[in-house]
Amino acid sequence: MKTGYLIGIVMLLVIGFCGLVWAAENVAVINGYPVITADPAIASDWYDTEAMYNLYSPLVYPSPEGGVRAHLATSWEAVDGDFTHWRFTLQQGVKFHSGNELTAEDVAFSMTRFITMGRGNSGPLGHVTATVVDRYTVDFLLDKPSALFPDTLALFFPVEKALVVANVKTPGNYGDFGDYCEDWLATHDAGTGPYMMTNHIPGQRLDATRFVDYFEGWSNEGWGPDEVPIERLILIMETDYTTLMTLLRSGGLDLEINGGWTLPQLQQIQNDVNLGLASVWAQNVTVWMNSKVPPTDDEHFRKAILYAYDYDSVVGPWEEFGNGETGIFLPNMPGYVPIEPQPRKQNLEKAREELALSKYADNLDDVKAVFHFCGGLDFEEDVGLQLQADMAQLGVTVEVVGPPWPEYSAECSTPETTPNMTIFLFAPQAAPTHDYYTYAMFHPNGLGWIFEAHWFFEDSQIINMLDSTRAESNTYARMLTYELLQPLIAEHALAFYPYQKPTLFAHQAYIAGPKETIVFVGPSENMHNWRINLTLKEELR
Amino acid sequence: MLTFIGKRLFQSLFVLFGLSVLIFFIARVMPGDPARAALGHLATKEQVERVREEMHLNDPFPVQYYYWLRNLLRGDLGKSSYTRRPVTTDLIQYIPATFELILFATLISAIVGQVTGVLAGYFRNSWLDGLSRLVSYLGIATPSFVVAIFLLFIFSQVLKLAPGVGRLPIIMTPPPRITGFMTLDSLIAGRLDLALTALKHMILPAISLAVIHIAQEGRITRTSIVENMQKDYITVHKVHGIRTSRLVFKYLLKPSIIPTVTVMGLDFAFLMSNAFLVEMVYMWPGFSRYAVTAMLNKDLNAIVAVVLVIGLTFAMVNLLVDIIIMFLDPTIRLRTEGS
Repeated sequence: MKTGYLIGIVMLLVIGFCGLVWAAENVAVINGYPVITADPAIASDWYDTEAMYNLYSPLVYPSPEGGVRAHLATSWEAVDGDFTHWRFTLQQGVKFHSGNELTAEDVAFSMTRFITMGRGNSGPLGHVTATVVDRYTVDFLLDKPSALFPDTLALFFPVEKALVVANVKTPGNYGDFGDYCEDWLATHDAGTGPYMMTNHIPGQRLDATRFVDYFEGWSNEGWGPDEVPIERLILIMETDYTTLMTLLRSGGLDLEINGGWTLPQLQQIQNDVNLGLASVWAQNVTVWMNSKVPPTDDEHFRKAILYAYDYDSVVGPWEEFGNGETGIFLPNMPGYVPIEPQPRKQNLEKAREELALSKYADNLDDVKAVFHFCGGLDFEEDVGLQLQADMAQLGVTVEVVGPPWPEYSAECSTPETTPNMTIFLFAPQAAPTHDYYTYAMFHPNGLGWIFEAHWFFEDSQIINMLDSTRAESNTYARMLTYELLQPLIAEHALAFYPYQKPTLFAHQAYIAGPKETIVFVGPSENMHNWRINLTLKEELR
Repeated sequence: MLTFIGKRLFQSLFVLFGLSVLIFFIARVMPGDPARAALGHLATKEQVERVREEMHLNDPFPVQYYYWLRNLLRGDLGKSSYTRRPVTTDLIQYIPATFELILFATLISAIVGQVTGVLAGYFRNSWLDGLSRLVSYLGIATPSFVVAIFLLFIFSQVLKLAPGVGRLPIIMTPPPRITGFMTLDSLIAGRLDLALTALKHMILPAISLAVIHIAQEGRITRTSIVENMQKDYITVHKVHGIRTSRLVFKYLLKPSIIPTVTVMGLDFAFLMSNAFLVEMVYMWPGFSRYAVTAMLNKDLNAIVAVVLVIGLTFAMVNLLVDIIIMFLDPTIRLRTEGS
């Protein structure tokens, strides 16, 4: 009898031990680009934004249809129909990670901090004065009218005033506010987001745990029976894809959100039943043509390039992964209009016709167009080499050079130093996205630099229409203007768009998401939008 | 001896000063805009200009150097425009990781290199010597990152004998940071299991770094052994019938490893700045990667600090090597003391 009890106890212990050993941990190891700062007033690049959408909540949220929807703010209006005075009403009962409630005081303080520090994504906002109307209402006064102001707030993440003030370091650049808590917020969070930071080593690793009291809740509606919220996030920041592949296949990596995979790696992932690929937003591969230096100062010459380029050859094997046609907007953005050349194929006949109309038609032997790409990026070089081969058929020499990024980007600071052609990838990372791909890239008051390396601002019709988009509060009407704008801009052949490059998130089969697809960097990487299937994780182990 | 060390340290100060001037100006004439790099892509022209003013980038170079030197004398190496932290904080973060790794790699290369060198030299022209030569040439000819990828693939992914990447498994919480050496901090925290795990994680990257140095040091030791074996004092010892082991360890090894020790010192300092690719492959959060990231992002303060750290490492390691050689070779010691 005693022996039977003993055996029973031992068996229970063994089963218990096995259970401990095999129970899948509710943790997701995610690889992203290096998160340098967790301070929402300084975060600027898309990788910082990935972290922001997990640790903080924006005032408004990008919507799948374009524009924004309610989030921390439930409603907003332009006071007296004047686009310099905006009133926002806040959602009640939103909790910061500290447990305190978010109020208008926090939002006004955060906006003042954002504008005073003048870093990160604050540039497009101009000067904004924030005032508290009551506990849940805040007013923003702008220095210039903007109908798009609410949309720009998709990158405005309120911080908890009390926590920030308590951790200010003095002396600093901001008087009584010392360093405005810049140092502390780089490695701590003061947000309301779905995850709370537990540790951050800038550029290396960020750990976070689920915020149970997140104001949007953690409903399992729409998810599978075994799919549960991820409890713990470990965001690592690696760039070597051979190592990442090893890690992914050995189960050490759950999700990869940069998508720098090579074609053979993508094929391996696709053929592995334990892995999956999710495609959310794409990047626009853009080749600017400098309108201020010869020979691309001639519109017909630029059009000849547009028609000579063999679009099919570079996309080829990538097509099944979503690389394909694109234009001024990304194809899955509302309001996308296909632009020339249509059909999207090489047309040497038309290229020759355009070349004959150009001022360089009689001395093509002396003409040389320079194509610069960012050194080390093979896919950019491929575009250059393809164009070199295509233009050679027309008797035009194209020189392809890949200087390192600091030199390459510095060249684009003035029209005179910008090469004939420069290639960039533009992800939908600025709010509002439509404005980013139009006003920021084609208006004289746009972002300049690599965003406007065509340097063409002579068409007053385009400039007026771009101005009108910022003055139009009706999303539908604005979208119509964008639709009219795209062919007008394309008419000048300031760029050619070889293809869109989807960012493919590789993940383990037990990771599910994203639930909602939005063409904007951040929401797709918000892990509230993802789930983990622990049963499947155990099985796959 | 103390005078010698003092003199060398004083000379090092001049070297570091010269180095700082040189790299300060080189970093500033390199193409790229550090203000833009610090602010990110979406910054407006006005924001970029304001930061240029804050960073004194619109001032003449000598004025910029004055500000930098003044801050350095206060122990402030400036703020990294990339990590947005004080550069000293970054260095404290990253140096120990690389230092721990290259110490381990140096230990491996010293032991294996010496043993193979001595054996190949003592049994010269035997099959052992031939094999050692072949392996050495392979080791010298194969870049560290190729070895790293190969070892990672074979031992971690296929055979699963060694852990993969990082200093610890990703989901494991590291011990409280005291020295920055993962093994040491684990032991201080009373976590022998963590220390052993950290040690296991070092094996593959350390071997990857050590391979080329094993080959080099092995060849140098072998040549030195062969050379010394032909000297008269060895013949005399042999004639007197001294045991082989005593002959090798007492009379042959000491003078033969002097050139190797010099090379080992240089190798150590070299690894400090050149472990980049191996650190990449093994996701090792080290100084070498930090240095390359600083260069790529035109992080001026970090670039200057990194070069100074490397310069300082070279100076200190060379000093240490000189001291070791003085102990190994009494004639050098006497000459130094005499001068």
